[in-house]
Amino acid sequence: MGQEREEILSAIQHCVKCKLCSIANFHPAEEWQPLCPSGEFYGYQAFYAPGKLEIFREILEGGLTESSEGLLKSVYACTLCGACYEKCRQVTSVEMRLPELFEELRGELVRKGWSLSVHREIAEKIKETRNAYGERQKYRDGAKSTNENAEVLYFIGCTARYRVPEIADAMLEIFDKLGIKYQVLGEEWCCGSVLLRTGQVEAAKELVAHNSEVIKNSGAKTVVFTCPGCLNTFKKNYPELGVELVHSTQFLAGLGEGEGGSDGDESSGGGLEVKKLGMAVAYHDPCHLGRDLGIYEEPRAVLKEVAGEKVKEMKREREQAWCCGSGGGVKSAFDEFALWCAGERVKEARAAGAEALVSACPFCKRNLKEAAEREAEEREETEKEGEEKEGKGMKIYDVVELVSKGLEGRRK
Amino acid sequence: MNFLKLVQGVVGEENATSDRAICASYSRDQHWHFVPAKNPAFVVRPGDKEEVREVLVLANREKVPVVPYSTGINVRGLAIPVHEGSVLLDLSRMNRILEVNPEMKTATVEPGVTFGMLLEETRKHKLRPAFPDAPLTVSVLVNYYLRGIYQTSAADGHDHTLSYEMILPNGETLKTGSRSLSEMPYFRYGVGPDFTGVFSAHPGTCGVVTELTAKLYRLYDNRKVYFVGFDEVGAATKVIYNLMNDELAASIRLVDNQSWLKGICGTFDFPYEELPKFVLCVLVEGVDGIFEAKAKLVQEYLADSADSADSADSGGTGGRVLEFPAEFARTFEEESLGGAEKSCMVFGLQGRGNYHCIGLYGPLTLAAEYYALHEKTALEVGIPQDHVHFYIDPIYSFHGQLCYFELDVFYDGSEPGAGEKLRNYNAKQFQRLLDLGIYGWFRPYAGIIEPTVERIGHLAEVWKKFLRVLDPNEIMNRGKLL
Repeated sequence: MGQEREEILSAIQHCVKCKLCSIANFHPAEEWQPLCPSGEFYGYQAFYAPGKLEIFREILEGGLTESSEGLLKSVYACTLCGACYEKCRQVTSVEMRLPELFEELRGELVRKGWSLSVHREIAEKIKETRNAYGERQKYRDGAKSTNENAEVLYFIGCTARYRVPEIADAMLEIFDKLGIKYQVLGEEWCCGSVLLRTGQVEAAKELVAHNSEVIKNSGAKTVVFTCPGCLNTFKKNYPELGVELVHSTQFLAGLGEGEGGSDGDESSGGGLEVKKLGMAVAYHDPCHLGRDLGIYEEPRAVLKEVAGEKVKEMKREREQAWCCGSGGGVKSAFDEFALWCAGERVKEARAAGAEALVSACPFCKRNLKEAAEREAEEREETEKEGEEKEGKGMKIYDVVELVSKGLEGRRK
Repeated sequence: MNFLKLVQGVVGEENATSDRAICASYSRDQHWHFVPAKNPAFVVRPGDKEEVREVLVLANREKVPVVPYSTGINVRGLAIPVHEGSVLLDLSRMNRILEVNPEMKTATVEPGVTFGMLLEETRKHKLRPAFPDAPLTVSVLVNYYLRGIYQTSAADGHDHTLSYEMILPNGETLKTGSRSLSEMPYFRYGVGPDFTGVFSAHPGTCGVVTELTAKLYRLYDNRKVYFVGFDEVGAATKVIYNLMNDELAASIRLVDNQSWLKGICGTFDFPYEELPKFVLCVLVEGVDGIFEAKAKLVQEYLADSADSADSADSGGTGGRVLEFPAEFARTFEEESLGGAEKSCMVFGLQGRGNYHCIGLYGPLTLAAEYYALHEKTALEVGIPQDHVHFYIDPIYSFHGQLCYFELDVFYDGSEPGAGEKLRNYNAKQFQRLLDLGIYGWFRPYAGIIEPTVERIGHLAEVWKKFLRVLDPNEIMNRGKLL
């Protein structure tokens, strides 16, 4: 067990079961907005943070001695989004570290042999193919280092390689347009995030060791990630690599630094010459980027460069953003729940007046896009002929896609 | 057919379970030092009152103990099963606001409706419910049915409940107040005795309340907040009396400067230790004309109090008007007239994370003695002085100088021995408070029934017989009343 049993029990005892963690700030807007996707979808107390803590206690105290469907579902149908933790911390200042506790809980289940077969299968795929999707082909022939000794290394990640390649394409195009030499790893393995988040800690060790080695040997000084899950894993679970680890939006925002950016702000995105898109967009904070890494400003700054004043804020944002539903192994195991979460976010973006919902994470994009497409199909089916259409389906993008579309170069 | 299959037939397979992990998630609440963890055998989540009725009839037939549960927050042991094989009736799916009637100033709700949900609707009509000193995630119905007296706004008075509908174990429906006679559920006293009151305050022991009609109160645009510091409780009570006697303020709360004041102000980051030990928080509201008149009178009372503090013969008992940042006043308004959220920060006082209280009703005249007794008992059982806190909320119309008193301990529940100290505190304090004299307990805390029932004479026997009439098979959550 990563954390000591007594330490975990002590943390569990501090939950007063107020369940304020399940709603976004009520005051001053005085609107009831759920914050816990799992609890909201499944309803039983077991799916809210206070209930999950009681399950963990029961396991540690020996009351739960065998696995069950309810146990696996309540523990694994949680995106580990951390919204509960942020809200609790904001109200009480007590550092419950809930996502870490829930990861410990998953680790405990795995040690007991109580895990989901779909997650075990992912581990098998990673073992065989070194990526989470079991894909055997390489990501696009074009993804080659422009310079084997480049200081910038782009860590693509499994999802941008094999499920949402338009994000990787966009990032590479941005490098090219900006004339930035980069490396990509020929031997990039899964970062291990999916294994670590699903409690399969042991299985991740080999991946961590491999990626650490190849990055150290690359000579790169900066590693850029379009996947906040990968970045979070590198920051949280990898040894010190002696390189700068940055998210794509931090990298782009940083280009303005000291180069006469539009307003001289460190995270301005002002170093980019970008054609405005003329489309109202809402920004969705990815959980790993926002709540885990505290990166809220840079994506907004970069998006503002692309969308100007047409960036809409949704009601639940930043620390209290509603999760897209994809993380923590949920997309692979509970797709219906994952899509419901994303559907809720799409509705929220529409209510904010956005034509497009923009994230900065391939997991978010994939899930939000599926939900938006499903919603559009359903609306098409239900809308009767002759009735006025409510509008087209919500468009879903990653920030780097929009930047790459409008990018004309560096600001002189 | 086993019980689970039977109830799944009523509520659907996905809404009833005997899964041990799911059941374990209901096994404990924040009162775990007093009510040990116990799993229900089943959790059932009915979607409407007809499903409640069918489940109750089945439970009654099979003699399965029933523990009603709404949102499960701030329940202090009341929704933890006593008996093996209990079914926990999770009513959170029943979360419809059935009516907000601005003309009648009432709302009718199901058990899963929270104060936050209700305010979101009522504020559209410039109305609000009376709020408990509990997170706004708690159930409206259950909190009113639990006691029905809430006082974050003193002006709301007590008896916020007008009428309700309760399903008995045999499937019969009881309607209280005018609800029993007509489609108008807006009057508490329908026929015969005050059944609305008779069934209240022993929640979950008679049947399951499926809808309740409560009073709503005006939201005013005109508001003004004052904070006044006092060095001791007795001095503050004189000002409270004056404000209550003239019915001048909407909210009047006397808090100590190290606990609830922080919640009321919404931040830990302020030199509270430099303030007088007790702070009276006063909120005045009203329509144009009346508001200004009230505010003027309140200012005069507070100025008089401050003058007496300055005078040589006052003994230093007067108050001192405190100048706080404007956002403190806003937070106080939001928390007292819009539901407790930020003020729940007291749960994390000094990073301790746990909160124990005894809530009781009594006269303002005994305020200083309640506080002294709280300190004395806490110190005797080894609770450190800086864990001991206190507040008073007076309640209109102030007959009997009615106040809610809360004797609080903010502690670290993970510390060895914390639970034992608190249990010792409770055992001593219940007796001492009863000896000193109280009007009543806020709720049936664990360990409170025994010393209380001893003192109420034949009423205890009548109470038990009353419950047996409603629930002859004794399936409802009687706890210590059995």
